[in-house]
This record gives sequence, C-alpha cells and structure tokens, in this order.
Amino acid sequence: MGAICAIGISSCHAGTQTHSSTAPTQNLTSVSPAGPSNQPGAPPTAQPGGALPAAPTVAVPAQGADNLALVIHDGKESWLDAGAATRSGYTIVDFGNDWTPFIFAEQVAPDGTALHNRYRRVFVGLANDTLDEDGTPLPAGEKNYLELYGIPPSFGVLQGRFLANEQQSCHANISQEKLEEVETITYIAPEKMHADEQKMARLGRDLEEARRKNKVATLADLAQKDPSFAAKVKILERRAAEKAAMTEVEKRLACEGMFKRGTHHNLGIYDDGMRMAVRRFQQKNMIYEANYLRSKTMDALARPPLANDHLAFMRVLRERVVSAAGVIEDGSVDTKAGAPTYNNRAGQSAPLRNLAEELTQSAAEQLGLATPEGALAFFKRHPAADFQHLRVAVKLPTLPEYYGPNMDLSIVIDRGDVWYDLPWDASGVRHPQPRKHYPSFHLYLKYNNQRILLARWRTTVGGWRAEQASDGYEYFRYKGSDVGQRVIRNIVAGPVWIAPESTPIRSLLKTKGVNNSWQRVVNYDELGPGFLSAYGLVAGYFVVPGKNGKPDWDNGIRAHGSSDYLSIYSSEGFSHGCHRLPNHLALRLYSFILRHRPMRILGDQGMGFARQFLVGDDVFEIRLPSRGYSYQLEPPLPVDVLEGEIKGTLKSPVMTYVPKPGIKYPGPPPPVRNSAEGRAGEGVSTKSEGEE
Amino acid sequence: MRLCNLSTSLPGWLSRRWAIALTLASLALIASAAVLGAGKAKNEVTPAGKADGKADVKTDTVHISFQTVPPRKAMVKWGKKSLGVIPVPRPLVVERPRDSGPMDVVIRASGYLPVHTRAYTFSDSRVAVKLTAPAEKKTLFGYRQEAPQNPDGGVQVPEPVAAPQPQ
Repeated sequence: MGAICAIGISSCHAGTQTHSSTAPTQNLTSVSPAGPSNQPGAPPTAQPGGALPAAPTVAVPAQGADNLALVIHDGKESWLDAGAATRSGYTIVDFGNDWTPFIFAEQVAPDGTALHNRYRRVFVGLANDTLDEDGTPLPAGEKNYLELYGIPPSFGVLQGRFLANEQQSCHANISQEKLEEVETITYIAPEKMHADEQKMARLGRDLEEARRKNKVATLADLAQKDPSFAAKVKILERRAAEKAAMTEVEKRLACEGMFKRGTHHNLGIYDDGMRMAVRRFQQKNMIYEANYLRSKTMDALARPPLANDHLAFMRVLRERVVSAAGVIEDGSVDTKAGAPTYNNRAGQSAPLRNLAEELTQSAAEQLGLATPEGALAFFKRHPAADFQHLRVAVKLPTLPEYYGPNMDLSIVIDRGDVWYDLPWDASGVRHPQPRKHYPSFHLYLKYNNQRILLARWRTTVGGWRAEQASDGYEYFRYKGSDVGQRVIRNIVAGPVWIAPESTPIRSLLKTKGVNNSWQRVVNYDELGPGFLSAYGLVAGYFVVPGKNGKPDWDNGIRAHGSSDYLSIYSSEGFSHGCHRLPNHLALRLYSFILRHRPMRILGDQGMGFARQFLVGDDVFEIRLPSRGYSYQLEPPLPVDVLEGEIKGTLKSPVMTYVPKPGIKYPGPPPPVRNSAEGRAGEGVSTKSEGEE
Repeated sequence: MRLCNLSTSLPGWLSRRWAIALTLASLALIASAAVLGAGKAKNEVTPAGKADGKADVKTDTVHISFQTVPPRKAMVKWGKKSLGVIPVPRPLVVERPRDSGPMDVVIRASGYLPVHTRAYTFSDSRVAVKLTAPAEKKTLFGYRQEAPQNPDGGVQVPEPVAAPQPQ
C-alpha cells in the first residue's frame, strides 16, 4: 500500500508529467539491456528486510529518456528516472526485446573492456524470431517457439501473438466443448489406422445388435441393463469422442499455423505432419510431454488462445522478474505438508517463500497485467517499437533476510536408485530396472547455523550408453555419475561440447538446407553453443580441487542445461554421467549463483579446434572457434554427489565395452577411451530406434 | 606477427611440414599483397581477429580465407552457390557481413575426398582444410574396417572393474 501511495504522490508532484501511452523514444537508443540489477556483483534491487525508502523524483522526459522506467498505477502510465527509482526501492524489470538472462548479458572487464559474448546475439535473435539456431536470418513469418528449450519469446513476439489471435476468426469454428470432452486422444499408428477402424466398426455393429436384442433405446441403456456390455460401450463412446476431438485439434493447430509449410498431413491420422504440429504447439506453450495428445497438451488445446497467450506472458514475466530480483526459490521444495521452514535471526520459524511466483504475481498486479484482458490492453496501447528497450519499475515484496551478495550456497545431488546390471540378457531381451527414487538436484544455503533448501529439481545420472570404439564399431558402455565431494569453479555460458572420438558418428551429422541445397552437415546443434547443445545453454563444471599445486581433476561431469527434457522427466531417462536440468532452470540457477557469490568474468574462451572424420567417401570437419563464455567462482561452489541406493546384483559399474546384441564385430572389444567430454552428448541411447 | 597468428591458429591435425608450407604460402601472399596495394581488398588476407572473438577494429564485414593443405586448386561451394576456386598459392578470400551466421561449405579438389567444413563470421578468419586422397582414407577417424564373415557376436558380460580415482 505504501508503494502505491508513493507512486501516486510522485505522479502528483510532476504537474507537467504527461501520461503518455507510448515509451519516450528520444535518446532511448542507448539503454543497456542489462539494467542496474544485472550488473556483475550488484545486489538484487529488491532489498532484503527493512522498509522501502522514500519515493523517487519523477523524471521529466526532457531530461533524457534513456534512463526512464515505466510505472503503471491504476491503469495510468508514467515515467520515472530508473536510477532514482532503484534507490527508492523499486526494482527495474527489463521488458526490452534485447533482454537475456544474466549469464548472456554484456559484461565489462575491470579495465573497462567490453567482454563480448558470441551467443548473446543468437539468443536475442531466437527470442525475437529473427534468427535461427545458427544465427542466420530466419525467413519472414517463421517462428522459433523455443521457450521449452530455455529461450522465452520476447515481449515483442508475445505482442504479435496477442494481437494476431485477437484478429483471428478461425478460432470461432473450433468446438471447445468437443475438446474438453476428452482427456487424451489415443495414439494409433498410421499403418494400424485401417485395422483399428474396422475393429471399431465391428464393435459398433455387435453392440447395435445387442441393443436391438435387448430392446433398449440407446447403448447407454444397454450398458445399464446388461453391465457385461458396459466396458465395450465405454470404449466405443470414448473413441467416438476422441475422433470428434481429433477433428477439432486439427482445426485448432491449423488455425494457429502449427502445420509448417511443406509438411503433409492426412486428416484424422496421427502422421508425421500431425506429430510435428503437436510438437510445435507444445513448444509454443511450454508443455513437457511426449509428442502425443496427452492430458497437458489437450488441456492447452481446449483453452482459448488468449488464455494460452496470457499463460505464456506470465511465464516470460516470471523469467524477467526472477532475473531482475535475483531470486531462485520456486516452490520446488514444498511438500504435501506445505513449505519448509527456517529459523530467522529473531529465532522465529519462517516459511520458505515461493519468490518466483510471489514476485511475478506482485509485478503483474501492479502493472495491471494479471489478467488476459489486462495484458491484451497493454499490448494494444504500446506500439511494437516500445518493446525494443522498455523497462518497467515495480515495487516487489521484500526479500528474505538471508539474501545478500555473498550467500553460502552449495549443491547436493542425490543419484536416487542406481542399477549397474546390464539392462538386457544374452539374447538381447531388455529387462526392466525400475526406480522409485529418481535423481534430484538440491541447492542449499547455509544461514544462521542451518541448512536451508532453496530449490529441488529432477535431474539425471548416467547409465548404459552407446559409444563408438576405436575399431569404428558401436558398443555399450556404462557411463555413470561420480560420487563424492566436488566443486564448481567454472560456469560456462553458451558452452561448447567437443565431441570425443567415442561419439557415434551418426549423431555428428544432420541434414540442413544451405543456400537452396539440402545437404549433410556437421551437427553443430549438439556441439553448441546453443539450446540443443549437449551442454545446453549453460554448464557448471564439476572438479576435484587440485592440492599442493596440482591442477583440478576433471572427470567430465557437469550440471548443465538440456533440451532433452524427456531424459530428465522420463522414468527411462539417463545421461552420459552429467546432471541435466531443463535449460530455463539451469539459466536461473547459474545466473542466481553468479549474482550471489564472488566471481570473476573470464569472458569468451577462444580456441581453434578442428577435427575431421570420414562418412562414406566424404570428409566432415568439426570447427569450433570458442569453448564458450566463462565465469570463475572464487571461492568455488561446493558440490556433494550422494551415491543413492544401488539396486540389482552388480554393486560396482562395468568399466569395459559391452558388444551390442546382434552386431557382428571384427574381434574383441578394444580398450575404452576416456575423455572429460565423453560424459555429455544427447543423440544416442541404449534404446532401439522407434522406442519412446 | 602475422606468421605467429597463422601458426597458432592452425588446427591440431596439421603436421609441422604443412605448417611450414602454409607459412611459406602466407609469406608469398603478404609479399603479393604488398605489391598489389590496397586497392584489391578481396585478394588480401586480413589479420585474423583475436582468438577470443575481440577484433581490434570492428567493421561491418569480415574476410574469410579458404586454403587447402596441401595447396591445391579447389572449388568452394556454399550450398548451390559457388564461392570460387582457391587460386593457389593464394587463398580464396570471401567477404561476408559480420555476424551474419556461419557458412557450411564443401571444398572439392581433384584427386581428393570432398571436405565439408564451416566458416564463421564473428571475425576475420582462415579456413585451412586438410585434403585426403581416397587411398589414404583409412587414416581418417570413422574409417571402418570390415567385419570378418563369421565372427563371434552376442553379448559378453565382463567382470566389473574399479573406477579411476582422482589424482
């Protein structure tokens, strides 16, 4: 309430202040995407504890608009001097299209040299639908939809979505009722479609005959009269509802432009065209689900477009607010009993707050953006150019007292249930290796003589993976996750994975359109930097600190972002030994750590790496100009990897190559090759192609 | 200084012999550039940007020099577009807008296997590509020896071996 009054008073003071509906454009070109809160080592702008200082002086645009921030009070917009606003307890939230998370922000060396980050431009281009993953211009009208992979759309892109959906008339032809009638739509492979239709027709005929014999009006009456038919009636009804819903799904996906130009789709069939469209829809709406019409996907398809747009808006706002305030607590530590507690300085028990949610809601409400209609009105009254560098001032709830520039953080990884046994027998038949406890990532804070768990997320541990041996053949190898105490000394933004020679060559190639020619190229997606990279968008490198002048020991284990979200959330998901996090959480995590621990910015780690390999009669060459953009924690961050519970017969891992069932080899397996980079990689698992 | 830049930017697979050859080629290039003067910018090798991506002076364009080892006349194609033929002993120099994204090119020289490689547009750079004759392809990683007709297949379950410990 105090905050609202302060804004009101300051607005009153500025008798000449115009409540312009658009951002002041004069002198606005030099606004840095990294606002005051994004400066290295700067404390979060939402101050922990204590009362907020007095209201700032209202800036007058004539003084220079390049340092202004927008405030919205009771739907009225005005402008404040951003510096004065920060000093007065406002948090400046970057709404600009050139925003990046802290780790990709422009940084400056102590001597004032700009430390350019190669990937920043690509990140911004991807978020604005202007560049593709390689950094080449995106054809006009193309969309990236990369939020699921850690790159949220810019507010400019969201504005386009809101305005386009408002004008789109095709949504009126879609039956929301039919979509809501089913929870999921059963997947039937295209080649089994005909047989399935015949089976359903037969079932329908049988039930119709039974209905006539039983002299009842409907199949529902039949099921009631003779319960032995109830299951069959249910199946028939469900499939009929699914068929009707499938038609609406197709209409909805077409209306939203999810079928890419050039893709083919046969109506009513869940073919590749349909699967790709569903995947795009999931990417657009950040749905962590396999590419089928399962519950979360169906829920989103049944929601009005404006509601989905607003959910996307709130997710994007969350990333901006979390970044501006420098917080991490996201409610992931809550249990059925509620939020855990800690003892504050006064000796009282205080609940651990979900700051990501709390601060985002607070910002949305202050700005009048907490509803779809409010957000739509906001986008309608601002021209697209406003979002180029727009910054917004909000008064966020006070941060907990344990916040500060140097927090005693540490990481614990619990490997959960671990199997060392081979997952198949001598004849190649797979045997299940069920896990009750999955690997989890914990971020702790030591404060006031207690250990406070700030965040807990699912992660991965290693397992059996395919690896290419020196004889050119693939074998299986157990690639486990090391146990014990480590540290993270280096955090690399936009990391590059140097594929070791053990990487199966098939995962190092992809086909790509190059200057109107469809050709095979090195799969740089997996090498990085990029959201699809084996190391994701950011990685923390686990090492055992060297003693007595010896260098650190690096066994290649990292905790890194990953686009392979199914490997993190699936019961069958494993890594090559690294601990994967969804990219957006990895970005939050490392941005948070870097802003609350002493660190040094090392900048771009240039290198001139090249390696050739043969495929058929063509030579392919990997060329990597940089390892990524590095930050060094001083002191390093402690990490403890817990062993977990070892299941099965073997109590220690097999350390040699194991031949794949059914493959003819030229001789016995060669010795295994070890390299630090061999713990990452995404493309190849122990599963056969086609297995989910 | 240019020579230092050149030799330190060579990829690891280049032998010392080829490094010397490239150095000599660069010397010839520098000499010819001096003779030709500044008017023929497209045929010059401009100093490579710093390895850390920071160029001293940032222009709107970058120059990418294509060379082969051993030096051979080779066609450089970028998709359907031909970028030109490497005019040995000089490199083929291509001008591109800075930060316009990478170029996936194919370099074809008569008597050698085609090489697919990538050039970047962050800064001026050299792409020195090693050529391999078909008879030498067994020296390349990924070359796969044929399996005998009747080998042992199936699955072996080896004994566990202790994991390596940190030093």
